[in-house]
Amino acid sequence: MKVLIVEDEKTLAYEMETFLKKAFYVCDLAHTVAKAADCIEENQYDFILIDLGLPDGDGLSLLPKAKKHNPDAAYIILTARGNLEDRIKGLDLGADDYLAKPFSLLELQSRMQAIARRRFNINEEAISLGDFTVNLQTRFICFDTQQIELSRKEFDLLSYLLLHKNRVLTRMQLSEHIWGTFADDDYDSNYIDAHIKNIRKKLGNLAPTDWLETVRGVGYRIRKS
Amino acid sequence: MKLSSKLIYFITGSKIAVVLLFTALLPFLVASIASEYTNYSLKDQQKKVLKNISKNGIESYLQGDDNYGSYTMLKEEYISLQLERGPNEIDTIETVQRIVEQDTLSYRVLSYTFKNNGRKYLMEIGKTTGSINQYNKPLQRIALYVLLGLILLTIVADLIVTNVLVSPLKKIIYSKLINRKFPFKETALPVKTTTQDFKYLDQSLIALMEQINIDFEKEREFTANASHELMTPISILQTKMENLLADEGINETTAMSIIGMMKTLDRLKKISSSLLLISRIENEQFSKSDELYPLKLLNDIQEEIGHRTNEKGIQMNINLSGTMIIKQVNQGLMFQLFYNLINNAIKYNVPGGRIDITDHRDASGYEIKINDTGVGIAEEELQFIFDRFRKTNLSENAGYGLGLSIVKSIAIYHGIGLNVESKAGKGTVFSVKFYQV
Repeated sequence: MKVLIVEDEKTLAYEMETFLKKAFYVCDLAHTVAKAADCIEENQYDFILIDLGLPDGDGLSLLPKAKKHNPDAAYIILTARGNLEDRIKGLDLGADDYLAKPFSLLELQSRMQAIARRRFNINEEAISLGDFTVNLQTRFICFDTQQIELSRKEFDLLSYLLLHKNRVLTRMQLSEHIWGTFADDDYDSNYIDAHIKNIRKKLGNLAPTDWLETVRGVGYRIRKS
Repeated sequence: MKLSSKLIYFITGSKIAVVLLFTALLPFLVASIASEYTNYSLKDQQKKVLKNISKNGIESYLQGDDNYGSYTMLKEEYISLQLERGPNEIDTIETVQRIVEQDTLSYRVLSYTFKNNGRKYLMEIGKTTGSINQYNKPLQRIALYVLLGLILLTIVADLIVTNVLVSPLKKIIYSKLINRKFPFKETALPVKTTTQDFKYLDQSLIALMEQINIDFEKEREFTANASHELMTPISILQTKMENLLADEGINETTAMSIIGMMKTLDRLKKISSSLLLISRIENEQFSKSDELYPLKLLNDIQEEIGHRTNEKGIQMNINLSGTMIIKQVNQGLMFQLFYNLINNAIKYNVPGGRIDITDHRDASGYEIKINDTGVGIAEEELQFIFDRFRKTNLSENAGYGLGLSIVKSIAIYHGIGLNVESKAGKGTVFSVKFYQV
């Protein structure tokens, strides 16, 4: 997948690139509207991530032209302004999603994957997880043909870990994803641990869950080849 | 009182005073005019008599007698001439009583002594005061009618002119003061008037409003810029830490310290976004067009926050009307308001405590009460709990004092009543009152 990162903060652009490269995305960087416009004309991207406040103009101004050259690309607006008008304007101009800064790179990647699933019809029918199979779209987890009941938050947790497989996610990152802006500011609470315990209990009755690892002091990880 | 009313009252009042004064003075005025006129006509008659005497001789009156007297038929007037033996020269006009054929009549009498052929005569010309005053009453009435008519006419004219004169002021008040809601989105149109004072007032108000608008825009821009300036470095730090943490090569100690840094950064992020949220609410950047089902909202919050009540063993009872709908609110902000209140009720509750959520509807509005069995708030602290960064009875990890400030700004923005009652050690009741339902 090819990604264009339009972001004037060079450090931030670089960190995004580093992160996405690890997930096997190919990245181009543009720090200005002009440079971004050139890139868009010369290349076909799958994703275009656009920051709004750029030194030579508003990132939103890129959208109409970009959509002409890259009609199949998915557009995600990144902004620290976070006001409703910008958000509506962006979505009106055809952006696929909107992420308020500061955002977690994990969140960015999970949004990109969600768009990819919707847009490019990547239908990962069922992902195997040990002896279980998970369908992220229909939100089912099955052992053989038996469906296992997980609560909404438990499934969210599991799918987020699965989306970022082989990566340790901290309790804070997990609660931020699950509770969003209402995530608790009590960082040493064990709500995530309680949910993980429930998942292990529900699944462990049927088959081993050693793919779901506790990384001491850090968080949790799903190991999957 | 309005300026126009004051003017009208003053105009009408002053005119009524003039009418009353004139009515009170009218009898005296008419009487004095009548008496002046009588004096004048008596003198006129005196001149005629003297002229006759000098022309025809006094004997034409006396006809050989020493006296001459003539009355009109109803004794309203008389003329008399008689020899005067006294030494005094008389020339007076006075009101005197005369007995004429057993009737005592009051006369206005001109007395005048003159010499003719070496003899001194006294001339008297009299007129009954009754006949003098006979026109007074009708005269007074006519004068009063004319006056009342004129006064009415001027009052009507005054009302019209006052209204026309004051109308630009009314327009200024209506268009610039009453009908304007901050922020002033469209520019105000000047009110048309030829009155210099109103023109000046109107222009000053427009200039003032423009200045406020400019300042408000600046503040909004500042908020947007400040958020941008704050959020960008936070973003950079966050992404850097995430990448560091994702590095396979790091050991547990490093990972732990990165997590510590991320927690601190998250606090900074939460404080900044809470402040931004408050400033956005204060800048009215949220629409108020949603319909709200309180029962559904509270149930959603219970589901969202359930892990916390479970952890503390708190029993939460929602007892709300299932049919209530609240209109013209922002759903997201309402969620935030009740979420923060309930979150507080959990945070400051005792393990195994209770939270009771009830509602009440009456003519004055719809009220939701959130009643907890927590540690309560001391009376002297109650007035400060909605202030930014003010902590009450809490330990270090119990929030950053912005939750209730957010609640307060959401309530103000929606015109919702917010009330808190608490007893230390017993619990707290937060009441949220919707006046328009």
